[in-house]
Amino acid sequence: MRFSEATGRKIVSTTSAETVGKIGGFVVDPQRRAVVALECKKTDSGDILLWSDIVGFGADAITVNDAGAITEAPAGIDTLLGKVHHLLGKRILSSTGDELGKVDDVEFDPESGVVEALIYAEGRIAGARLIGVGSYAVVVAHG
Amino acid sequence: MSRLMRTSELHKRPVVTMGGEDVAQIKDVVFAAGGGAVGGFTLAGRGLFSGPSDRGLLWSTVAAMGSDAVMIDDESALGSSESVLDASAGSGGSGGDVIGSQALTDSGVDLGKVIDVIIEVQGPRGGQCNVIGYEIEASEAVGTKGTRVLIPLPDTLAVSGDHLMLPAAAKDFVSQDLAGFGAAVEAFRDHLSQGR
Repeated sequence: MRFSEATGRKIVSTTSAETVGKIGGFVVDPQRRAVVALECKKTDSGDILLWSDIVGFGADAITVNDAGAITEAPAGIDTLLGKVHHLLGKRILSSTGDELGKVDDVEFDPESGVVEALIYAEGRIAGARLIGVGSYAVVVAHG
Repeated sequence: MSRLMRTSELHKRPVVTMGGEDVAQIKDVVFAAGGGAVGGFTLAGRGLFSGPSDRGLLWSTVAAMGSDAVMIDDESALGSSESVLDASAGSGGSGGDVIGSQALTDSGVDLGKVIDVIIEVQGPRGGQCNVIGYEIEASEAVGTKGTRVLIPLPDTLAVSGDHLMLPAAAKDFVSQDLAGFGAAVEAFRDHLSQGR
């Protein structure tokens, strides 16, 4: 699944059957090369949903046990939040110091959250090559 | 894998950590080993949170030099500009500022004025960064006066503030662009070693 497809998808509580929010963005931990949380919009409480609190990542909705799963950013995640750590639109640098392009989209596994590939103008870069995500660039291992 | 670059292109090139942060940019190239190698760089700050301005980067802590960025592992690779200059002095000095010098052959022919320094980056990581040639604004002796040509350097050379001494054969190994220059440098050095 791609970030572009999943953004805006509704988040539904299995307890109350109510929509408790929408996906606003993705929190990626470059060291684990995986999505570790979702940034949520239109919620009552906080704006972070940990990947481990997702019950199902479906084609039409993401399900959680109840609205309480969406909280303020817990420690460990807070350092990965914000535009600095977003991948979309950022320049891609290889570890040899050469610019490859810009991140157009990201493919991830909806089961595990593992980043499978970065999509850019010239194709795809395997997620396993991801090294770091900072304010200036997404750094990938030289392929 | 090695690649050739003009040192003038390095000015303002961002220094980026593997974590994707641009922590500085190159201000000046500091030569070492009497001008035969790049010892490191003095740095300028970047952006709003540019940090102290007298920082430097030793070549030995550079992870990779690319065409768009200088890669380092993290900010601990940065030191003071002083330490880079000291290391250069300890290795035989920077060789002085060669830009603007007149390139003379040992037979006394003026080849032209030095306008840029060509380096060969070996690596990534652990490789040397050697000065292998100069770009000169050619005199009539080399070709059309005023055109820019690349001229290879021997392993060792004599340079003063005014002149750069080259073996006479250097002018037979000039290139018009970087693409063929690596081969020309090799051919030139082979030629010199056979002559000894």
